[in-house]
Amino acid sequence: MEYGKAYVFQPSDIRPAKRRRVDTQGLQASWRRRREAYTKAWQAQQRAIDERLSSINAATVSEVSAFLDEAISSPQSERIPTGVILAGYGVNSHSSIVSQLARRKSADEDGRQIYVTLTSAYGANLKALLKSLIQRALRRQTGLDDDEEDPPTATARRGPRLLNYDLQLLHDYVREHKLQQIVVAFEDTEAFDSDLLSELIEMLGCWHGRIPFAFLFNIATSIDFLQQRLARAAIKCLDGRLFDLAPAGEAVEAVFDALMSSGAPLWLGPSVMSILLERQGDYIQSIDGFVDAVRYAYMSAYYANASTQCLESSENLPDDHCEALRNLESFRAYAQQMLENKELLRLKDCLESNQSLAAVTSLRITEGQRKLNDMMSALSTLRKIQEVLPNMSVSPRSSLYVQAMSGKLHGSTLLRMLLLTIRKMPSHVTVRLLEAILAADSLDTYAQGVCRQLLGELNEILGSRNDPTQPLRSEDDVQNSTLRTTVVAQKVELSKHKAALSDQDKAYTQVLGRLSEVLESYFEETLVNPKDLPFHEVFVYDLKSPHREVFMPRPRHAIERALASPHDYLDCECCEPDRGERDEATLSATQPATAVLYQLYLESGSLINASDLWQAFQAVIGDERDESQTMAHFQRALAELKYLGFVKQTRKRVDHIAKVMWRGL
Amino acid sequence: MPKRKQNEDVADDEDATPRKIRNDRSARKKSQRTLQEPAGADDGSGNDDVEQDEEVAQRILEDDGGSEAEDDGDEIQLAEATPMADTPSKPGKLRGRPKGRRRERTPSPPPDLPPHELYFFQNRTGANKTSSNTLPSHVLLGHDDYSAQVVAYKDPHDADIKRLVQYHKRAFNQWMFELEEGFNLCFYGYGSKRALMVDFAEHVYAQTEGSKPKIVVVNGYTPGLTMKDVLTTFSDVVLPKNEKLPAQPAAILEAILSRLNEEQQIVPFILMVNSLDHANLRKPAAQAMFAQLAAHQSVSFLATCDTPNFPLLWDLGLARQFHFLYHDATTFQPYKAENDVVEEVNALLGRSGRRLAGKDGVAYVLKSLPENARSLFRILVAEQLAMADIESNATAEGVEYRALYHKAVEEFVCSSELNFRTLLKEFHDHQMIESRKDVAGTERLIVPFRREELEAILDELV
Repeated sequence: MEYGKAYVFQPSDIRPAKRRRVDTQGLQASWRRRREAYTKAWQAQQRAIDERLSSINAATVSEVSAFLDEAISSPQSERIPTGVILAGYGVNSHSSIVSQLARRKSADEDGRQIYVTLTSAYGANLKALLKSLIQRALRRQTGLDDDEEDPPTATARRGPRLLNYDLQLLHDYVREHKLQQIVVAFEDTEAFDSDLLSELIEMLGCWHGRIPFAFLFNIATSIDFLQQRLARAAIKCLDGRLFDLAPAGEAVEAVFDALMSSGAPLWLGPSVMSILLERQGDYIQSIDGFVDAVRYAYMSAYYANASTQCLESSENLPDDHCEALRNLESFRAYAQQMLENKELLRLKDCLESNQSLAAVTSLRITEGQRKLNDMMSALSTLRKIQEVLPNMSVSPRSSLYVQAMSGKLHGSTLLRMLLLTIRKMPSHVTVRLLEAILAADSLDTYAQGVCRQLLGELNEILGSRNDPTQPLRSEDDVQNSTLRTTVVAQKVELSKHKAALSDQDKAYTQVLGRLSEVLESYFEETLVNPKDLPFHEVFVYDLKSPHREVFMPRPRHAIERALASPHDYLDCECCEPDRGERDEATLSATQPATAVLYQLYLESGSLINASDLWQAFQAVIGDERDESQTMAHFQRALAELKYLGFVKQTRKRVDHIAKVMWRGL
Repeated sequence: MPKRKQNEDVADDEDATPRKIRNDRSARKKSQRTLQEPAGADDGSGNDDVEQDEEVAQRILEDDGGSEAEDDGDEIQLAEATPMADTPSKPGKLRGRPKGRRRERTPSPPPDLPPHELYFFQNRTGANKTSSNTLPSHVLLGHDDYSAQVVAYKDPHDADIKRLVQYHKRAFNQWMFELEEGFNLCFYGYGSKRALMVDFAEHVYAQTEGSKPKIVVVNGYTPGLTMKDVLTTFSDVVLPKNEKLPAQPAAILEAILSRLNEEQQIVPFILMVNSLDHANLRKPAAQAMFAQLAAHQSVSFLATCDTPNFPLLWDLGLARQFHFLYHDATTFQPYKAENDVVEEVNALLGRSGRRLAGKDGVAYVLKSLPENARSLFRILVAEQLAMADIESNATAEGVEYRALYHKAVEEFVCSSELNFRTLLKEFHDHQMIESRKDVAGTERLIVPFRREELEAILDELV
């Protein structure tokens, strides 16, 4: 089989019963239940994300759709109505727009409009593109009425059989099904050859009288660039309008919005999240890539962490699972804390009875989840406050999330600045702020009550003031005080001089003081460090390790490492490097032949004399072996280096090979 | 264990990796010092280490002297020591070392160069002074000897390799989960991953309840593999038996995809590609086709990649379509099926002629050919030898196609170009000649043998 080109796999022997049993022991025994829990959790999350993502561009989608409808209802010119969607980077954002459009249309209409998506991969010439355009158009439609056997050729047309790239086919089809519009979406406009694109547009333009086309161009650069690339004749066929899509950063924010407010059982920790964000920022990823990464975090948490079972239910925990829970670091801290609080009986109960441990676990986990939920609402309150305050930029959800989850937000300069600014607010801003906070209803009941009370007091003060046009000022506002410099005994003295403040102003300052106090204590209470919560390992997933390798592999590094220090992988006694001497592995005869040759290769220059290489190789490895045995190893190693692309043939000198890769470059 | 100690010291000395103080105390320098002060050796400081080092140095000196004594005088001048030759070697084995080593003349690379600096250091002009030693033809093993040796050899690392594979096998359930969640998998790392893939296929097959998945395995490394082979095999499981396949790969793909779209597939299809990054499949069109298959929701796609730089094959769009999760699957297993060792090494060293079992094979083929074919081959060989004499540099080797044709016509070997072509084709079929385009784009014909062998062939022909 290994020498066949391609084959259908047939199992050599089937022993399913025996194999089944192998993996259903230990902590993985609960995998089935965890898997169900995962499916439930992720589906909810996915729905939330999808909802938010589709709502980002909802406005644009309806604009485009209205534009297309308008083109149907009032067909004006011989020009093709064209929507140019300025999508920026991100490969898939457009296709989702088109699919949203298509979904919307198929939902509320009788299918008089069909969507065809073209990408540059469908063909490198006009014929191929037309062919796939026609095929797609016909197939899409037959997918809906699904009766005809052989749709492309069996249209009810008499006469000679048409070639499959003849637009007449499409024309017949349009007539037959009374289609009102065929929307052609160019997914990656920039990737099309410009001449080809112009040709295609002109061609379709010629048929526009017979087939009602409409175009959607997805462009990543600029409309000027598109115009520059198209032939003049092609541009003449188009009647364009520009639509803007939300920038890619907004999509990430939307995902975070979903993550923060969906009430999911699992949270992603700061380090894994910052990896995801970094990757999103450094490599241009579409938002789907980001969502996938989040999904993978969910998968890893549920797959590799047996205690995640408690997220679903803590009932019937197997013994080993309880043991695992007791070994959690946070449980130990929690036990320590119980000891200090002299709750010996409870602690003993937890340690000895699995049942009460399960009860405590589920209680603590629910509590922890609630605390994290509170923290998330605190974050949205924070953003609300930032929105209201003038001259304050609203921090992105992603960075707030990472800061909060790492426990750094509490006591951060950001928060201090915010509270200071609050103390200086003039009264009209304060009213707006209080109203916004009360409307959002995200504070706890106590703070909410205080805010309501403060708003009442403030309104009273405002009603009693003399000049209703002038807002009240806070004492702490620098605008109200002047700095005076006086020279006393050859020293400059700075003295603050407060402007005369009315009684209302003073009362107002007090109100502000209480407001900032209440907010401060609210943030202090809600912004917990997730690492301090008992059982946080269960509901906060924060492992960097699989993510980096799984999404950002370093294959070259892996191969170089395998060859340069095979001990790292093989873990054999014979090749263990001398400890203390140095970190790098040494060359030794016991290492695999390819590894030995690779290390010799590393030491050589860009041209390698094969004969010398052979001598050196023989000197290292050929101690107790006969020459032909060593030669077999040498040949195998050399062939593998070539297969891996480390060396290549050279014609510069006889019996030389050329070095192609430098380690670590 | 004095011998062991010596080895280490020599290794330390010759290894390019620097160490702080020890560099100064390298055996080489010691030996120089010993040379300068021959009397000082006896009244040594009493330090054991020093004494031992000196002993080593003495040994090296003797050996160097020995090997130099064997050299011809001119060769020493020609040959420079190579950085490559700086490999640890046992003092006792020094006899086989490259001749004319002159360490003093090679400035050793500065210690601890970062990778890019090392690159420039090794690529600087005049850096490449390698010896002109050649590998004697007889040491390279042929197919039979090689496979005999491979069969006879028992790897001491067998147990470790098995354990490594066992680690990967533990992840099988995880991989299945990932596949079921709609991701595709890509495996990289050193070592053949074919056996692991087969095991995984078995595992998937055994673990799936109900209707078994349909698994198609593609061996990307098979010589002459085309996209059409892949798609035809895949269409066997996807399309109904009696359906007629279109001729073009793109059309087959289209048929497969539309079939997949039409039906709600209950049975998952799994497409496994071994060596997705092999030269056979490296064309963008092929990768795009795989990506389209991989992107389909009812196809699970598994691929293994061998080369270190495989992610460069895919742009953002393709990578998105592939939807890969990457796993390091270093196995350390030999690339048995993937790589024809003997052929590859011969090609690497420019000895593809060995395929024919050397010049005897050529003689055998020539015997069965008509007279004028033999004459043509004689002309070609003679011309190639003559060219090699004139042009010392090996950049433009071989004989120009036109020139050979005219020569052949002059000697009445053939009368027309068609005739000439037919004769050449016979040689091509037996891989007795190779044709290459040189820098200027003119076609050149080459008999892939070394000079001595060419001369021997010529002798036989004349």
